[in-house]
Amino acid sequence: MTPSSDLRAEAEALARQLPNLNFKAEASEAAHIGSAGRRRAGTGEQFWQYRRYAQEDAADRVDWRRSAKGHELFVRETELETARTVLFWCDPHAGFNWKGDGDIRTKADEARLLMLTLGIMMSKDGERIGALGAGRTPSFGKRAVDRLAEDISNGAGRPFPPPPRTSATLVIASDFYDPIPEWQARLKPLAAKCPEGVLLAVAAPIEENFPFSGRVKLHRPGADTDRILGRAETMREDYQRKFAAQREALLALATQIGWRFVSHTTGKPSLHGAARLKLAVESFGARG
Amino acid sequence: MTVLGPFLFGAPLALFALLSLPVIWWVLRATPPAPKDVELPSLRLLEGVEPKEETPARTPWWVWLIRTLAAAAAIIGLSQPVYAPGARNEAPDAGGALLVVVDNGWPSAPRWSELVDAATATLDTGGRDAATHLLLTAPQTLNTDPAMRLSRADMGKRLSSLRPQSWSTDRTEALERLKDSGLKPARIFWASDGIEDEGGRAFAAALSSMAPLSVFAAPPKGPAAITGITSQTDSVSVTLRRVQPRGEERSFVSALTLDGSALATAEAVFNDGEREAVASFTIPAAALSRIARFTATGRQGAGTVWLWDSSNRSRRVGLVDAGSVAQPLLSDMHYVRKALEPFASITEGNIEALVSTSPDAIILTDIGQILPEDGKRLTEWVEEGGALIRFAGPHLAAQGDDLLPVALRRSSRALGGALAWDEPQAMAPFPANSPFDGLSIPPDVRIKQQVLAKPAPDLARKTWARLADGSPLVTADSRGSGTLILFHITAGPDWSDLPYSGTFEQMLRRSIAAGRGESVSDTEGAYSPQLVLDGYGRLAAAGANAAPLKAADFGTVKPSEAHPPGLYQGPSGTRALNAGAGARPSLIESWPLAARLLGDAEARSLRLAGPLLSLAAILLALDLFIALLVAGHLPGLGRRAKGAAALLLVCALGFSLTPPADAQSYRYQQMPDGSYRRVSTAPNVVPITGPGRATQKEIDAALVMRFGYVETGDRALNERTRAGLSGISSVLNLRTSVEPDEPDGLNLETDALELYPLIYFSTPEGAPPLSATAIAKLNAYLRSGGALVIDTRAGGTVGTDTDVAPLEGLLEGLDAPPLQPVPTNHVLARSFYLLDDFPGRFANRRLWIEKTGGPNAPRGDGVSRLFIGDADWISAWAVDGRGRDLYSVDGGPTQREMARRFGVNLVMYVLTGNYKDDQVHLPALLERLGNGDEDEADPRLPERLPEGGPQ
Repeated sequence: MTPSSDLRAEAEALARQLPNLNFKAEASEAAHIGSAGRRRAGTGEQFWQYRRYAQEDAADRVDWRRSAKGHELFVRETELETARTVLFWCDPHAGFNWKGDGDIRTKADEARLLMLTLGIMMSKDGERIGALGAGRTPSFGKRAVDRLAEDISNGAGRPFPPPPRTSATLVIASDFYDPIPEWQARLKPLAAKCPEGVLLAVAAPIEENFPFSGRVKLHRPGADTDRILGRAETMREDYQRKFAAQREALLALATQIGWRFVSHTTGKPSLHGAARLKLAVESFGARG
Repeated sequence: MTVLGPFLFGAPLALFALLSLPVIWWVLRATPPAPKDVELPSLRLLEGVEPKEETPARTPWWVWLIRTLAAAAAIIGLSQPVYAPGARNEAPDAGGALLVVVDNGWPSAPRWSELVDAATATLDTGGRDAATHLLLTAPQTLNTDPAMRLSRADMGKRLSSLRPQSWSTDRTEALERLKDSGLKPARIFWASDGIEDEGGRAFAAALSSMAPLSVFAAPPKGPAAITGITSQTDSVSVTLRRVQPRGEERSFVSALTLDGSALATAEAVFNDGEREAVASFTIPAAALSRIARFTATGRQGAGTVWLWDSSNRSRRVGLVDAGSVAQPLLSDMHYVRKALEPFASITEGNIEALVSTSPDAIILTDIGQILPEDGKRLTEWVEEGGALIRFAGPHLAAQGDDLLPVALRRSSRALGGALAWDEPQAMAPFPANSPFDGLSIPPDVRIKQQVLAKPAPDLARKTWARLADGSPLVTADSRGSGTLILFHITAGPDWSDLPYSGTFEQMLRRSIAAGRGESVSDTEGAYSPQLVLDGYGRLAAAGANAAPLKAADFGTVKPSEAHPPGLYQGPSGTRALNAGAGARPSLIESWPLAARLLGDAEARSLRLAGPLLSLAAILLALDLFIALLVAGHLPGLGRRAKGAAALLLVCALGFSLTPPADAQSYRYQQMPDGSYRRVSTAPNVVPITGPGRATQKEIDAALVMRFGYVETGDRALNERTRAGLSGISSVLNLRTSVEPDEPDGLNLETDALELYPLIYFSTPEGAPPLSATAIAKLNAYLRSGGALVIDTRAGGTVGTDTDVAPLEGLLEGLDAPPLQPVPTNHVLARSFYLLDDFPGRFANRRLWIEKTGGPNAPRGDGVSRLFIGDADWISAWAVDGRGRDLYSVDGGPTQREMARRFGVNLVMYVLTGNYKDDQVHLPALLERLGNGDEDEADPRLPERLPEGGPQ
């Protein structure tokens, strides 16, 4: 597994190459009234400034306590607070934390890299980020990225996490090789709480191509089962059909619960995957 | 032992295991190879998918073939088979004692393993329990007793531990031993070398009469022995002999150095019908001296090794060429060279190059002073055993150095001259302790001149030859392990008649032999064995049985255990005793009728158990390797296998296509550092490009005559010298037909001096001594006929002598001849103008020139090559760019004119030599012609001469 500092450095480099996140501001303002100040006047709880009364202001906006101190009328403005919480989860399965011959990094590392890239960009924009099921409250800023990098690497051995207490945007990274009903059962509680989410499916080139031939004993990491194929090349078409069917079923599942589905292969450039992941997350802003 | 065709089986029951082969085959066929092990996380996707076509995994046919073969080889190997085609012919029940006779002289060495195999094979036949006896035919102390009973196992061990000896067999002695032992064998097997030499037929007949005889004869194929060698200065012929005269055979002989590296290879061809062949080597003499032995290439055995001792080699002699080569027939070296050419290889060169090749002797003729560095080299070389032979002459008489056996008086002694009372001397008989002892004294040889040794107590001991009056003619002394030898006469006929006589050659030859501490006659003393040959022809340290050999016995004694072939160290170098010397091996053509001759195949037995078991092991290892490869445990091999195979194929093709490198067209050439390098004798074409390495300055100097001057560290002085030479050049241009160009400044160390007829050297004050290189080049310049004018520019009052003290330091090492002031009537005073004095800026100074003895002056026609003075001529000659005089002169314009006239005379003298010598007699001629009666004044006075020319 790549050390998290290396992943962090690469993620920073990727984030620099991508354009800034672009949520549609109105949509997010309408959807969430969070705690993150936007450094401008707007709807929020925190005081922002007093300004002089203008003709178009309604009378009930006059802050009389301030106005009583002098001869002029003042209007009290609060700081605009819009924030989105994004929670990430990376599959800790041994089969996900695996790389084929010739791959640069494991599938899990690739997924973490993409998610960290997204997290870095979001925390810069003031969004709150965190790991799903890590127990720490999501936050923003530099510390938040450090925490995220720590938390999404520490998921090993834990069961699939329950939904968060408050609604958030979720990013779920796995290879999704478990049967679709299983995944449906896992995702349903999450989708019920959080209407926005992205499924990030990361695969290795070997898994896509099935480049075996002859007598082969196949073995799944993290499981005791193995299987001997007499002539592996005869199974290639079956396998590829199965693989495509799994991907289609996942897409259908994501659409059904209103989430997005992003697939990525470790052999392809990470920037490519990061850009598509970013696009998927941004699309939630556009929807509303 | 069970006999099955030509095979014997030690454990025949093991063969029943072959019955299980089909079972093994069936099991192996059913066992598939291990699958490739692969991880795949997405395997879960395939759950529930059944493969359409699961072909039953079968072992590939070649895998089970390998395994079955391995099992079969192991089973057969365990049954201990022996391949013995001769076994069928033996009567299986021939009981009684078996006598094994083995020839273990040097002729058996080439096929020794076959002999031992045949003797061992015969043990496999016949009754197992019968006793065996062993008889060896090469004489040896503590030889095996034929009466000793040996079991068959012991006999096998004994046979395999036998080694051939490096001397030849003595079958008569062996037969006596057999008779003395009283053994009555029931059967005799003779592993013979098949050579008639030592009564082979009689021996066979005697054996055959005792018991049924089987003979395996393995005569050497190809050359059996090197029987002789003849050498010239740069070639060697090696004579090979084979045992039978039929067919044409080719063989190679290698010349090896002591450490075994081959210097050359030559081919010897046996023509059909001839037993002898000759391999001829042409090797440079210097390389020849490094050859220590000759061997027939690729053959083992003491007979095909010829050790080459030092006694019959040609000596290598270096001649130092010092004199001019303009008149080679008059030079001293010519006589030395002619005397030595028949029996020594001659190298010529300077001392440094010669010493680096470390010849046996170096000969110097009349060199007075050796450069200090060369002297050091020579001293080292002499102390390591070289012989330095020097001849006297005028230079040596003038000044000697310390590389002489005796101290010399500083002049030579002339006998029989006009003013001498005594007659030229004949030679006295050689002293008894002299190496020349025994040479005849030519009665008509007379010695006219010699250098004399200073009397010393040990002079008599050092004297090798003396004159009739007792004065030494040849002296020698040892220095380190080498020798210094001085002939007190010249090598040419200037001083004596000796070089004309044949004794001179003999004397030189013996002197050179002294170079290796050897004398020519060496029939005295004993030689102790140092390195001996073993039976296979390898050199080894001498063992305890080897005894010293008397010098007189070389050539007559036959090699034996006490005197094995090898190198013997003695009082005069090493001598070699060779096994094949003079041997005349020939085949035993007819055998007793009762004897049964075994062919090569029948006498052989081959134990197959080891090879078969090895084969099984190799096959199993191969199988394991294949299994690993199939299971994917050898990553990368699959990818590289094809490349590797292709590479191997290419390599094999490349090797097979490479033409066999044979020893036909190369020779050895000596490199400047003394080593040898193999060079091709193919024609070497050197393209001629441009003007070579000559600089423009050299080309100009060669095309147009000009003078040179030595550039010193003093720039003003250089300018003055240049202006002076430029002035005299323009005077010459105006007045004479000599038309020199502008002078050149010369760096003594780098420039080519020989292009300048005259070099002017104005010595600066307090200058450091010239470097050794500069002195060496100046010496060479003077010897090759150049003229050097040295001007100290010191001047001085009338009567003060020339101060040459600074010159001694500056020119240390210059091979200066004895000097004298210019005598009156010298040709220098009349070569163009008639002069009384040779003034420069200072008048009335002396000019020193080389002392030229009478008409017998050895070289250069009596023309001096060295001029030393202090009159500062260049200042008097010097003119500036417009021809105006630069410096004042003591005596005004008259003296300047005289100085220029001297310059013209000097150049004329240098260029024309003694051409004007007859001017010396001009007064007498004029007187006779009656022209001298007008005026009694000296006709030499310059005032009376017409302007612009002397005559």
